[in-house]
Amino acid sequence: MSTRPRSRPANGTIIAGLVVVGLLVLLAIAAAAGADLAGSARRAVDSMFPPQAATAQGQQIRNLYDIVFFFAAAIFLLVEGLIIWTVIRYRRKPGDDELPPQTHGNNIAEVTWTVVPTLIVAFLFFISWQTLNSVDAVAANADVKIKAVARQFQWQFVYLAEDGQTELFTQLLPQGEGGGMNVPVGRNVEVLLESPDVIHAFYVPRFLFKRDVVPGQTNRFEFKLNDNEAGQSFNGQCAELCGVGHWTMTFQVHAMSSTDYDAWFQQQRDKAQQTPPPAGSGEPPAATLELDAQNIAFATNALEAPADKPFAIHFVNKDAGVPHDVAIRDASGILTNGADVTGPGEATDPVPPLKAGEYTFFCTFHANMTGTLTVK
Amino acid sequence: MTTDTHALTTEHSPVAGLAHDARGGISNPVLGMILFITSEVMFFAGLFAAYFNVRANAPHWPPTEPAELAEHFNLHAEPWFAAALTVILVISSFTCQFAIWAIRKDNRTGFVRNIAITVILGVVFLIGQLYDYSTIGFGLGDGVFGTTFYTLTGFHGAHVFGGVIMLSVVLYRAMAGQFSARHHDAVEATSLYWHFVDVVWIALFSTLYIL
Amino acid sequence: MATTALTPAAAGYRSGLYDWVTTTDHKKIGILYVANSFLFFFLAGLLALGVRAELAQPGLQFLSDEHTYNQLFTMHGSVMIFLFIIPMLAGFGNYIVPLMIGAPDMAFPRINALSFWMLPLGGLLLFTGFLSGGAAAAGWTSYPPLSEDRPLGMVGPGQDLWLVGLILIGTSSILGAVNFLVTIFKMRAPGMTLFRMPVLVWTVLVTSVLVLMATPVFTSALIMLFIDRNYGGHFFDPSTGGNAILWQNVFWFYSHPAVYVMVLPAMGMISEILPVFSRKPLFGYKAFVFATAGIGALGFSVWAHHMFTTGSVYLPFFSLMTFLIAVPTGVKMFNWIFTMWRGKLTLSTPLLFAIGFLTMFLIGGINGAFSASVPVDFALHDTYWVVAHLHYVLFGGSVFGVFAGFYYWFPKMTGRMLNETLGKVQFVLMFIGFNLTFFPMHVLGLEGMPRRIADYSSAAGWNTLNLAATIGGFLIAASMLPFLWNVFVSLRSGKVAGDDPWEANTLEWATSSPPPPYNFDRLPEIRSERPLFDLRHGRAHPALTPPAPDRTQQLPAGH
Repeated sequence: MSTRPRSRPANGTIIAGLVVVGLLVLLAIAAAAGADLAGSARRAVDSMFPPQAATAQGQQIRNLYDIVFFFAAAIFLLVEGLIIWTVIRYRRKPGDDELPPQTHGNNIAEVTWTVVPTLIVAFLFFISWQTLNSVDAVAANADVKIKAVARQFQWQFVYLAEDGQTELFTQLLPQGEGGGMNVPVGRNVEVLLESPDVIHAFYVPRFLFKRDVVPGQTNRFEFKLNDNEAGQSFNGQCAELCGVGHWTMTFQVHAMSSTDYDAWFQQQRDKAQQTPPPAGSGEPPAATLELDAQNIAFATNALEAPADKPFAIHFVNKDAGVPHDVAIRDASGILTNGADVTGPGEATDPVPPLKAGEYTFFCTFHANMTGTLTVK
Repeated sequence: MTTDTHALTTEHSPVAGLAHDARGGISNPVLGMILFITSEVMFFAGLFAAYFNVRANAPHWPPTEPAELAEHFNLHAEPWFAAALTVILVISSFTCQFAIWAIRKDNRTGFVRNIAITVILGVVFLIGQLYDYSTIGFGLGDGVFGTTFYTLTGFHGAHVFGGVIMLSVVLYRAMAGQFSARHHDAVEATSLYWHFVDVVWIALFSTLYIL
Repeated sequence: MATTALTPAAAGYRSGLYDWVTTTDHKKIGILYVANSFLFFFLAGLLALGVRAELAQPGLQFLSDEHTYNQLFTMHGSVMIFLFIIPMLAGFGNYIVPLMIGAPDMAFPRINALSFWMLPLGGLLLFTGFLSGGAAAAGWTSYPPLSEDRPLGMVGPGQDLWLVGLILIGTSSILGAVNFLVTIFKMRAPGMTLFRMPVLVWTVLVTSVLVLMATPVFTSALIMLFIDRNYGGHFFDPSTGGNAILWQNVFWFYSHPAVYVMVLPAMGMISEILPVFSRKPLFGYKAFVFATAGIGALGFSVWAHHMFTTGSVYLPFFSLMTFLIAVPTGVKMFNWIFTMWRGKLTLSTPLLFAIGFLTMFLIGGINGAFSASVPVDFALHDTYWVVAHLHYVLFGGSVFGVFAGFYYWFPKMTGRMLNETLGKVQFVLMFIGFNLTFFPMHVLGLEGMPRRIADYSSAAGWNTLNLAATIGGFLIAASMLPFLWNVFVSLRSGKVAGDDPWEANTLEWATSSPPPPYNFDRLPEIRSERPLFDLRHGRAHPALTPPAPDRTQQLPAGH
């Protein structure tokens, strides 16, 4: 009475064949491109797991992941296999017009595949809850307290005293030799998260962890690096869209041995407490450099200053509502940090005498704002 | 296998949605209005959720900052004008319902009269609301209190305005004799909307001026 | 009585373009929805190709700055969700539901037309952003304070156009939901009790309840952000007493049920296609209905699982509810599989896409379970893992479902069959391209690649997988070519379909292809959810009625 399309059952074979051929072609391309297939297979399995955890909390998360993965893989193989098998096994043979048994359902089956998955997810929820309580636990008193300040588009790390309030010193650079978040291994580190502008997120893949930085509230979490990670650096990155510079907001966590950390901490603390020598001690600046900032950029990326004489930088910030400053660094670290100016506004930053050479001037708030200061 | 055929009908009117469902029950337009009102309730729920969230996070409520506006924020002290507006709106719901009862009994005179009074009361409410805005002493930009107050009452006022328009159309059509006891779905739907607007106001008044 | 083109059997008294623009016939409106949705699908797809082209290799190659990139992915997500998938499924519902329940049209035909025309208007508003100094660029999630009008935030009209456009589109959705609910509750043919409705009608019903209850909350959020941006409001600005997390709560209260709006009707379509091509009824009809209702209800209780890392939500509750929602979804998966089990499968294109749905949605459901576990989510949130998850359920699920439905109902809508070979070519290309694009993203997410980054460092080791994903993306684009060619050729010279080319079960196949304006000359007796099957196999009588009524009467406006 109606016209069924007379599709060939061989179509199924054609499809399956195409898929297999397609996969083989892909493998061939990969091999031709010089891929190491055996090593690739091992790496492929590894790639289904997060990177090796560097912290105690991260390891707990990894253990939980492994259990969830086991269930996921089992369910995937079972159900996907069932689908594929069913599609292959129950294809209609050409010319077979008889109706198959018109089964409407089976209550026992329904109950089974309601109850069993409920038990599985209840179990997964329970172990997740246990792990969460452990990961989110905050020790009675972590002896390392750091406030990570996230701004558009740079991180800064403010090291706090035992009371968790008093600010001792700040790591202005988010990564690299003279910057980053230095922390000891084997001790609890508490991180407080603050942002003066938009929502960011503190994310370190090797910690298997992230936490949002929300303006108007201070989120906090704790971690403890494994002892064997001393000397390692862990890359981190902002993980909540925060504007045009989102992808540039990278940082590093540097793991130090406990003694190395204590030494470094003391050294930084002392340096911060030193009264900086008055620039020029009354001597008028030999030169005043003009520098503007607009549209999250310096107006020029090349400045010159006389060597061995105090000078000044007259800094004009034209970006309304946006903070900038001018800091100077060289290979040994940050040498000066000028006043923070929120636009529109200006400041005159005195700079002590510098030896001849090339220095970098930069804005501590915005990673892209840099230039070269040539002193001669 | 039955040969019962009287349940089979192809005598559907091509016009979708009979005003009176052959099987009984509320008519399509009335069901549609109830569902629409449900969506409107959820809209106000979002605004109320924002209000309660902001209020719960505030150190003081009404806010004590900025100092010069603090006394204006204290709506509890002077709820009388708003209370009067509440009474007006509640009365208008009564007159609206009288109008419904009238048209259901084919009492067209009583129907027109009560709808007219409802329209007038609605307009009085709107004028009163605008007057309240002009004397209340703070604006939308005055902190979260101002923002939530004006957003909640403003959108309510917009819905009252919409309701007044609907009632006016009903009034016009009523005076043109378009409604009868058998056919007055638009009136039923409009009255449901009007009662909804009244209930939202009662919730608003209680939340903003009393709680 | 059947015709062979898109013109209806009874000649209307308006013709051509004017007819299409002013129609209130649910079938034409349904086709308009589908066509409009495909247009936005291609536009949003081009935006995605822009994203993938930029990410293929480290370094900013094509885009002058990150702001353009942020606009690309923001608009890609927004357009795909609000202008493609939600209206596409509404369009299929519009066309099919009245036919499936034996009704002559939707309950409110003129509101139906209004609902449609708000969509191109809303889309225009969104895209005008590109011409106004930059479209919205804060992600489709538009979190404040970034989305507020502030330095380094979303300055300019683009974000406001986005807000107003979405308010319009949301209203269109809500009106559509009212229409569907009244139609389904009040206009079913005699004999069609609720539990004899086809499953697609049930999914549209539950979807409409979700739209009705959740979308207005989104509207309120959009309005609040608009007030913050333009009227000096303080809802979401923490420095003045507002709360940034408030937005996330109100936003996700809608947007989570929205994902079920984006998939349930597609599941309904699969539930119609699998029985027909297996020659067996849907396994566990009642369980399926309850599972759908369960997903709808539970869907309102999980929203904060998008906010696990904010430090502001009660984690155990939302984690538990999220895990639980896997159960009714699993019930459906098993019911679908056992519909095919011991059936006699005809591997036509609709069935291929349906099987694609099953296999790919399964993966999406499984990788979602990882995110339900809060500590694991701490690692995976806002990484490419989530991008993999959402595309496996929305593309692997809904889009494959849409194509399954398109190939299945195209003959009914147009009177022509689509070409099977071209359909299979599209399926294979799309299946391979889709997996090549999105499977590597699981790995990228695990390795730590965050979302929404315009560029990445070569040192991260993400180059190869990103390149693979880009190739896959272009393969998906390529698969659209046989599809478009298929539609073009089949409309002109495809095989004539006749009333019921698939030997199907439901009422829409009991009338001509395409149906006359009033849908049915006569309805068979309805005794189960498969009235046509029953008729064909002697379990129900054809309508034994007096001679067909005189159809030469003047049809009222809109028909």
